[in-house]
Formats: sequence, structure tokens, C-alpha cells
Amino acid sequence: MRIALSSLLTLTLLAGMTTAAVPAAAQGNPIKIGAILPLTGSGASYGVWMKGGAEMAAEELNAAGGIAGHKLEIIYEDHAADASKAVTAMRRLVEVEKVPFSLTSYSSISLAIQPIAAQHKVVIMNGGGQSDSLAGKDYLYNNIPVVSNEVGVIAEWLAKDKKLVNVVMIVANDEAGRNSASTFREKFGAVGGKVVAEERVALDATDFRAQLAKLKARGGDLLYISSYGRNVAIIADQARELGIAVPMAGTSWVLVPETFKSKGAEGMLVTKLPFDPNSAFAKKFKEKYNTNAGFFAVQYYSATMIFAKAAQEAMKKHSGALTGEGVKDAIESIRSFDTISGKLVFQANHGAVMDIEAGTLKSGKVEVEKTIKAAP
Amino acid sequence: MDLFLQLAATGLVVGSLYVLCAIGWGLIYGTTLHFHVAHGAVFTLAAYYAYAGQKFLHLPLAIAVIGAILAAAISGMLIDLFIYQPLERRGAIRTTLFIASLGLLTLIENVLAIIFTPDPLRMDVGWLADSVQLGPIFLTRLHLVSVGTAIIGFLALMAFLKYSLWGQAIRAVSSSPEMARTVGIDLRRVHLLTYAVGSAISAPAGILLAMDVGAEPYRGTTFVLLASVAVIMGGIGSIPGAALGALFLALLENLGVWKIPSEWQSTISFGIFLIFIVVRPRGFFGRKIQSAEI
Repeated sequence: MRIALSSLLTLTLLAGMTTAAVPAAAQGNPIKIGAILPLTGSGASYGVWMKGGAEMAAEELNAAGGIAGHKLEIIYEDHAADASKAVTAMRRLVEVEKVPFSLTSYSSISLAIQPIAAQHKVVIMNGGGQSDSLAGKDYLYNNIPVVSNEVGVIAEWLAKDKKLVNVVMIVANDEAGRNSASTFREKFGAVGGKVVAEERVALDATDFRAQLAKLKARGGDLLYISSYGRNVAIIADQARELGIAVPMAGTSWVLVPETFKSKGAEGMLVTKLPFDPNSAFAKKFKEKYNTNAGFFAVQYYSATMIFAKAAQEAMKKHSGALTGEGVKDAIESIRSFDTISGKLVFQANHGAVMDIEAGTLKSGKVEVEKTIKAAP
Repeated sequence: MDLFLQLAATGLVVGSLYVLCAIGWGLIYGTTLHFHVAHGAVFTLAAYYAYAGQKFLHLPLAIAVIGAILAAAISGMLIDLFIYQPLERRGAIRTTLFIASLGLLTLIENVLAIIFTPDPLRMDVGWLADSVQLGPIFLTRLHLVSVGTAIIGFLALMAFLKYSLWGQAIRAVSSSPEMARTVGIDLRRVHLLTYAVGSAISAPAGILLAMDVGAEPYRGTTFVLLASVAVIMGGIGSIPGAALGALFLALLENLGVWKIPSEWQSTISFGIFLIFIVVRPRGFFGRKIQSAEI
């Protein structure tokens, strides 16, 4: 018995040592990466897009021979907008699966797992969260602009072009919601606007009537929604139901399928990041998943492709070995990536810049009225 | 003033769901003295029964609702029959029953989350979702139905307890189980009946919630907690007390938003409850809570 135990122990140790020495490099071994996404909960619609986008990228890569001959395998984890779930998932990915890279989503989630990423030298790439505090973090890259760019655009557009200057705000009480709201307050104030009242709501709530009634009583000529996921549609519907007749507005994260379908959201003033619903990618996505693709599907497709490119480079440089550190160095040295939505250049703060479009939501589509070019 | 009226109306709508949940729970607790937290699971099950009836069996709305109420009543009875009664026969104390009930609540909630995902599933209610304006107040037709259901449910339960033979048996057991037994009432059958009636009266609250904002697996816990607070506030054994307690909590929660930021809603309710239980443990009406009853 004792012999059996000790040999088992030795075996385990040996197994551990081999994986540590040549991570995922032996010919034919798949390269495993993680993806920590909102697969359930209020943001499940983002999850469908994000997972679909990443999956499509992996399939295309594998069909074309994989990354330097290795198959790419993505391990999906659900964070359900809960940071503690995300931390557990990240630990599992790092300690058990020993991934060199993981896709991540949401501001609060990415911030919660970033220390683990930095400590274990695992690159995480966020294609969805936009909080300003995501900028300049070690091992965290964002292939999306931080929110102050986009909020700056919508604040100016609302105040100058739409002449809406008295705003009441409903804010999701989490990192992303609060950050976006305070940035909006600042940028809107700078262009002569004023936030008359603000109400915070839980992200997992489904009844916003009391808060909306309070905002209605405060007047204002615009309801600004600093929340995301399915809540946006519920807020829009319940606001109309309570007789709030003023226009509503929000940045790109309000654009989920529920919002497009909502009657209350008709006429909503939005900014969005460039996404072409008639692109070949969108058609393929629709065919494969039987649901319309959205901006975030492209984001996670691109993030996976960026990883593939960086991994290839890193493996070439380190004679086939793939580590998080190698991926990070490769991203830093390549910097500019060609993606299906155009050239993406990582800034010194680990974020990306993109064109921003402003327009009105009309029968399930955004009618773009203005495009604000990204500052070079 | 308009805001006050709107918040009061919203409070009344939420309150009508609390009332249905609280009088059902209060009837069961007052009669059996089981701290039946799994009532929250029955409430949630009712919502999913109705949802499944409409979406999977393609039943018309009314049939799905009636079917769900019946199924909820049966679920309540089954819990008593297969969990509480065997435990009581083996001489389990109330705490054991409470733990069993809590376990069952967690189990059912998680199974529902696995089957239906944790996301809210909203039923189609057609024109009931349209909004109506009453002076400065905006509500939906469904909200008016909620208030109506609560009023009818409350009156029907009172009439049932007062005028029907079975209702009188329940009241007899509620006021003194020993006395009821000596006059030949079968306690176990009365308990089963109480579970059926209590579950059926609370089921519409779960279903109305599924129609308004969606069925969610973990919503029952909040509701059963509020129901127990309402019953203790109203006075154990008193159905009007439970209804009043529930209405009070809902109005407090919603009117509180008027002057206090909304994230403090539940802090207000439970703060008032603590004051109540210390200052007036008898509740509005009804008997004082004995330590043995909790």
C-alpha cells in the first residue's frame, strides 16, 4: 500500500513537472486558453455573442491547421457578473488548466482577476468592459476603447446636436455603471449639460419602477441609462409604462437583442462602436447560431485572432514554448493587428481606439447620424 | 405629490403579491407551526408551472394559470406528506423541520436554476401588459389584476375559514390542536388541507410575478422572508394581520424611496421589523410569539 501510494505520488509529481517544463508545446498537444464570460445572468446575451465569436475564430484557426500546428482549445467559464465566481474560474484556468491566456469580459470581472493574471504571468484580454480603471494594468489588454472616449462623444452629441441639457440618470450599481455615470457627469458638465438626479439600481433587479417614478418627478429632458444587459430593455419598458415621455440615451453596451426588441427603447439615442450587420462575419454567425451577430461577437472573434497571432510569434521566438510572458511580449512588439473590423493598435495604456458612431434606435436598427473618427 | 401617489400605487401592487404570499404562509404557520420556508419554493414552482404550461404545453394563459395553481397546491401537500409528516412521526423537533424545509428550498431553487437557467423567464400576457393612466398614476392592466387577485384571494380565504366545514376545522386546529384532536379532528388531514389551501393562495403571487418581470429561481427566498416578517408583524394566527403586515412592508419599501436612496429599501424593512419584534412582539393582532414557535 505504502509503495503504491509513493509511486502514485512520484507519478503525480513527474506529471506536474513535465507540464511545467514544456507548457502546451509538445507537437500535437492542443493549446488551451480560457474565456471568462457572462454565460448566464443579466448579461447572458453578451455571452452568446462573445462565446460565438471566440468559437468561430477557434474553428477557423483549427480548420487552417491551428496555431503553429497545435489545435486551439477554448475553455469557457461563466462569471454571471459575479467577481467571486470569476476569481474561482481564473484560478482554475491558471492552476489546473495552466493556460497562458484568457479572454475576459466586464470591468469589475477583469479588474478582479487582473492581480491573479499579473501574478501568474497570464495575459487576459477584455473585449467588452469599458471602465476607465481598466487602463494601464499589467497583463490586461483591452481590444476596446475605455468608456471615457465613448461617453465623451455621447455627452457632446446630446448637449450640442440634440440640445438636451437636463438629464436624469439611472445607474447600475457596479464598477462599470458607476464609472460610466461619473464620467458622463464630468463630460456632460464640460459641454454645458447638467445631471439633475441620479438613482442607483442593482444589476440583477427586475423592477425599477420606484426609482423611475422618483426620476420622473425630478423632471429633466432626457433619461440617461448607465446600465447594461437585459436591464436596459426592462428599464425602457417600465419608464414608458410610468409615462416618462422624454428621450432615453445610452452608450454601445445598451445594444443587446432585448433592447432591439423592446417597444420602450424605440427612439433611444445611442452611440455605438463600428459593426457592420451585413458583413460576411455577421452572415456566417447568423447561419451558425441562428441569432443576429452583434458588436461583441466581432470583439471576441478578433481577440482570439489577436491571441493566435501573438502566440505564433511567441512560439517562433522561444523555439516552440508558449508562456503568458511570451504572449505579452509578442503583443507589445506587434502592437498593430489587422482585424476583420479594421486595423487595431494597442495604446501605451493597453487599450484600443476606434471610430464611434452616434444615432437613433429605430425598429430594431441603429440609424447612424454621425461618425466620430478615432483620434490617431 | 404625484410622486407620492405613484410610489403608493407601486407599493400597493407589490404589496398585493406580498399579501398573497404572506396569508398563505401565515395560514400554514398559524395552523401547523411549521416554519415552512419551502413555501418560497412552492411560490417559485407556481411561476415555472405557469411558464412551462404556456411555453412548452402551449396552453392558453388562463388554463396555464389555473393548472399552475392546482399543481402548486399539490406540491405543498406533497411536501407535508413526504417530508414533514414522516419527520413528525419520528418525533422531530421544530428546528429539524425548519432545517429540512430550508434544505428543500435550496434544493428546489437550484434544480430550477439548472433546468431553466437563472435568468428571468417572462410569460406572454398580451394586452395585459398595456399601461393605463389613473390621474397622475401609471400602471399596467396586469397590476390592476394583481391588486384584484389579492383582494379576492384575501376575502375568499376569510370566507372559507369562517363558513366552510373544512375551514372551521383549520381554525380549530390553529387555536388549539389538543382540543381539536379530542373532538375527533384528524390533525394530519387538516395539515394536508392547510398546505393545499396555503399553497394555492400564494401561487398566484408567483405567477403574477412571472407575468410582470419574469420567473426567477431564487426569488422565492426573498418572498418567504418578507412573508414571515409580515406574519410576525401582523400577529401569528391572524390572516388580516398577515395581510396588513405585508401591505405595510410593501408601502414602506416603496414610499421609503421617496426620501431615501433606493438601495436602502430592504434595510428599512428589516430595521422596522427589528423595532417591531422588540417593542411589540404581539404584532398588530394575534398572539405573542413564544420562543417555542420559532
